[in-house]
Amino acid sequence: MGERLRAVLPSVFSVLLALAVCWVFIALTRDAETATGAYLQMLRGGLGDWPLYFEGGRLAVLTRPLGEAAIKAALLLLTGLSVTVAFKVGLFNIGAQGQMLVGALAAAVAGAQLQLPAVLHVPVAVLAACVAGALWALIAAGLKLARGVHEVISTIMLNWVAVSLVDNWLSVGPLRAGAGTNLSVTGTAEIAASAQLPRLLGDISRLHLGFPLALAVALAIWVWLSRLRSGFETRAVGLGAEAARAAGIPVVRRTAQAMGLAGALAGMAGAVLVLGTEYRYPGGLGAPYGFDGIAISLIGGNHPLGVALSALFFGALRAGGTRMQLLGVHKSYPELIQGLALLFVAGRLVWLSLLRPRRVAPVAPTRQPEASPEVPRA
Amino acid sequence: MLEIIEALLSSTLEYFPALLFAALGATLCERSGVVNVGVEGMMRAGAFCAAVAAITFPTPVGVLMGMLAGAGMAAIHGYLCIRWRSDQVVSGMAINLVALAGGTYLLESLYGPNGTPPIHQLTRWHLPGLSEVPLLRAFSGHSALTWIALALPFAFHGLLYRTPLGLRLRAVGEKPHAVATLGLSVTGLRWLAVLGSGMLAGLGGATLSTAVLDRFEQHTPAGLGFMALAAMVFGRWTPLGAFLAALFFAAGNALRIGLASSAPGLLEVVPQGFLLALPYVLTLALLAFQGQRTHAPAALGTPYEQESR
Repeated sequence: MGERLRAVLPSVFSVLLALAVCWVFIALTRDAETATGAYLQMLRGGLGDWPLYFEGGRLAVLTRPLGEAAIKAALLLLTGLSVTVAFKVGLFNIGAQGQMLVGALAAAVAGAQLQLPAVLHVPVAVLAACVAGALWALIAAGLKLARGVHEVISTIMLNWVAVSLVDNWLSVGPLRAGAGTNLSVTGTAEIAASAQLPRLLGDISRLHLGFPLALAVALAIWVWLSRLRSGFETRAVGLGAEAARAAGIPVVRRTAQAMGLAGALAGMAGAVLVLGTEYRYPGGLGAPYGFDGIAISLIGGNHPLGVALSALFFGALRAGGTRMQLLGVHKSYPELIQGLALLFVAGRLVWLSLLRPRRVAPVAPTRQPEASPEVPRA
Repeated sequence: MLEIIEALLSSTLEYFPALLFAALGATLCERSGVVNVGVEGMMRAGAFCAAVAAITFPTPVGVLMGMLAGAGMAAIHGYLCIRWRSDQVVSGMAINLVALAGGTYLLESLYGPNGTPPIHQLTRWHLPGLSEVPLLRAFSGHSALTWIALALPFAFHGLLYRTPLGLRLRAVGEKPHAVATLGLSVTGLRWLAVLGSGMLAGLGGATLSTAVLDRFEQHTPAGLGFMALAAMVFGRWTPLGAFLAALFFAAGNALRIGLASSAPGLLEVVPQGFLLALPYVLTLALLAFQGQRTHAPAALGTPYEQESR
């Protein structure tokens, strides 16, 4: 079995197993027909209603679901990449949620307060979000490098600080739309039209520039990690900081850079959410995108292209999840599938031992060729 | 003034047990060398099962079911981390995600989105002697779990530092190979710690749904499990440290609620978001001040392989 296949197969099987387990779960709580129906609805909601298209020929039944899937995938991809980049330098970024939140707020403020032509406004707002996210992540990196505070704890704390400050103060207080008046709105003022990410298909789909942007970023991260010197050094630090230091790699700088980049990516996810679909900072982010990013990154094998595939897949699943409600299956079902898939990915050594090539039967005819290989005991 | 302190103390004691149980569970697990970021998920499973069981059975039975549910989640963690040497952080995060989505799904399909129907709360103890004394009155009117939470850290301290089992548990988190050399089972000890940790986290969750509230709600435990992890680190991986840290966080929370309800004028000067953020900022500052490098168990996060050294 090729090395590459060994890396990919556990994830693929994990996702398939999660799908199967969840199907059985619906079949047990409802019945098999509902389970199959729900999955079909999920497919149609995520990949387009092809049967309806062939009947009626309306393009919108394809573009609308696909657009929704792409929007969801863009967010998952960016937060997934954020976690991946941190992983590559050996840090576990649980803080993508907080970084995204800070980024989303920055994008909303830049989008609403600045008056710029569209050519400049969108990049400036996205950049503001990236900088805000990066700064937020650098707090954790700084604490780690200077004081040895474990990044898992510090990023969790920073998540809560971000939620407290943004959701419980800024977006309901000073930055609330119509602050100072008697208007009771949650969330910030609507961004200017010039700051909106342009829609790519006009009115037949919500698909916007954020999706190709996310894909391009994934490609860039892949090139950086696999082709550029600084990317190689980053991975070297992640594989062994001591060895990297001995080889003359600036460990502290690479760590801070990678964590800053992780924050910038999560911040960009916030920008895509605000500039692409919400058009303002809503009362709250609405979903734990940052935590989804952890799952997406790990299921994608911490490889930028794997993360892209995993994000596309779960984006489609998420978009389709809302259609499962037609059959009374809760829309959180795709999240359950995602969680189970991650659980099975965590058991990747189980998969690898199951997938290990059976030893070629020895010449002696008495041995059974099917004899399963010894499983190594912990 | 006395009434205010009394109210704050009472509110602290209300919030404290759930946090403490989870923090003690995390401490136990990590002292044996297994990272447990799945505390949040184990708490959620415990809270859910406790509430569901308490609908038909007496509430204490519900609490036991909650503990079992926590241990069940921990068993998954143990199977992946101890048996298969999986990445412990990944496994823990997976448990969190499964518990979050699974809990939402089950709640929705069984009872609707708002939560389980109300159950009988655990009996609150109104101690005749105590409820007369000013100040100490705050200790009255809580469930038995509060008293267990006040005693348990000391019991754990005794267990970890005064018994052979405690020595072995600590040793397994520092130098598993040395423990194996003595002919003791590394995996057995770790299983014990992981399952115990799950039971404690489940108990913490059950406390939320049976003592603090009287139902399981959509967002339970709302990040308390992560708080417990912080309390564990903050308490330097010791039971008494976790005790103090949990008390500190609970007091911070009580102060926040107390300030919001008793002095609404203050909220116009200091935004509530600041008060909310305060415990977390303080934790970060204290962790930075402490410098954490030396306190974590040496073998934390490294799966045990017999052949390796």
